[in-house]
Amino acid sequence: MFFAQFVVRRLASLVFVLFSITFLTFIVGYLAPGDPVQAMMGAHRDPDTYARLRHEYGLDRPWLEQYTGYVKGVLRGDLGKSYRYAGRPVWELVQQGMGTSAALGLAALAVSLVIGLPVGVIAAARAGSTFDRLSMIVMLAIFSIPSFVIAGVLQIAQVTLFKAGLPNLPTSGWGELRFWVLPVVVLSGASTGYMARLTRSTVLETLDADYIRTARAKGATPGRVLVRHALRNALIPIVTVLGPSVAFVVVGSFVVENVFRVPGVGFIAVQSIGTRDYPVIQSVTLLLALTVVLMNVLADVAYTMLDPRIRTT
Amino acid sequence: MNASRLDRRALILSASVLGVLIVLAVLGPFIYTVDPAHADVNNLRAWPSAAHPLGSDDLGRDTLARLLSGLRVSLAVAFVVEAFTVIVGAGLGLAAGYFGGLVDFLVSRAADMLFAFPGLLLAILISAVFGASVGAFAGGAGRLLLVSGSLAIVGWPLMARYVRGQTLSLKERAFIESTRALGAGDGELIGRHILPNVLGLVIVSATLDVAGVVVGEATLGLLGLSAQPPQTSLGKMIAEAFRYITLNWLQVFFPSLALTILVLSVSFVGDELRKRA
Repeated sequence: MFFAQFVVRRLASLVFVLFSITFLTFIVGYLAPGDPVQAMMGAHRDPDTYARLRHEYGLDRPWLEQYTGYVKGVLRGDLGKSYRYAGRPVWELVQQGMGTSAALGLAALAVSLVIGLPVGVIAAARAGSTFDRLSMIVMLAIFSIPSFVIAGVLQIAQVTLFKAGLPNLPTSGWGELRFWVLPVVVLSGASTGYMARLTRSTVLETLDADYIRTARAKGATPGRVLVRHALRNALIPIVTVLGPSVAFVVVGSFVVENVFRVPGVGFIAVQSIGTRDYPVIQSVTLLLALTVVLMNVLADVAYTMLDPRIRTT
Repeated sequence: MNASRLDRRALILSASVLGVLIVLAVLGPFIYTVDPAHADVNNLRAWPSAAHPLGSDDLGRDTLARLLSGLRVSLAVAFVVEAFTVIVGAGLGLAAGYFGGLVDFLVSRAADMLFAFPGLLLAILISAVFGASVGAFAGGAGRLLLVSGSLAIVGWPLMARYVRGQTLSLKERAFIESTRALGAGDGELIGRHILPNVLGLVIVSATLDVAGVVVGEATLGLLGLSAQPPQTSLGKMIAEAFRYITLNWLQVFFPSLALTILVLSVSFVGDELRKRA
């Protein structure tokens, strides 16, 4: 009963979010200045061809119809046609970068989890210690210092270390594993900092709970209390930070791909701005926003499954 | 030394750093009058020297002069964005909380719609699609206004949400009810009793927001979406200097340092204000 209500409410808000994202992306493209068909045709001013192309791109229809057409297309996986490469589907252009972006993003997320979670747990277990204070300052710094500043510092360090004889970590391009190191490290910065600090505060909160005191009173060792009692319960709220972390990674990938010239969707999108191929950046924005929404939904589902209490609220 | 004295020192220190940066941005170009767009072709990617105190970039343009004008861009954009956020965000939040009903519904749904978009994505989209034509039509200043506008569109909903919440709780308080019972109208209630009580919240959240806006503008600049040549911005300087980082890393370092100091000092001031609010 309550659970059904919860699911319905969540679904309603999901529909609203999806509507917002598609509508805002559509309306920016709709209001985009200039006449793409005119630009495409250049000097050729054949009115018939002009009218035909406008019709082909659906630009002669009223905006509401264009919007519903846009949504229907997106549902079918059709993101419209490129303005620059006449007739070529945008999907084809964007697709070229999707594998790279996904690999980069997932690697960064994995690094954040592997570093952020343990640092947060250890800092909470030794609250007030030197490790706690130092690690939290570092985590705050990598969370709040812009990724491109960190990228600059790492590139400078890399150049210096390379001169000192260490292996070369490329600062530009994409390929075998050594190309991954710098972009992944930089991209994981914000989400690592965020995760570590949030993990610390949730674990600290859990360590204060009555059942922890009970476990201690029963003679459980500190390690057992931490892992079996505190961590298991603290992990539940931590699942929800996955959503925001994905958002950091997604927005960050725009910057990181362009700084390190990684040929992902963010790089393709920025390249398309120069050629005024607006449907490309429009589609990339849409896809990235949808990725974040999808991860939020997954985090919600995982949260509900892990924590029976949420079902009754 | 107790905590509050330490806090006060932190506030004074960060506020004076911020003050120095503002003075540098406003007065700097009048004192250090080197043209930031002048290309000194005999000194490309120069290291710091008497002619170029902070060196020069790959076109031989003076880094100190460009840093000062980039700082100006960062602060000007931040100022415009916060002005918009405070006026529109706080105004709509106040109206939504006070009048409720349809006004509340419209404002809240509009805010929810923008919240659906993660962070900077919408700002990137808007400044990318409209950038070129706004630049052609209204020049460099127009382009910066567009960047400010796109950041403000992303920024106002949070302010509206805070102010709406505060207004809702104020509305239920006894002093508002008794003032109303004494015959005060909506205008007087909002202007004399509610507004002064949300002002602290507005100032604190606007200050805390500045750091994000500065980084946002720098990010757009890095992607080539903010100031265009001959104008520059800190983000653009960093992006350009990345290309020859192996030859002169100081050119990446200086704008990054300026940006970091700016962001950290604003964050500290905002944090201290919040503790006091």
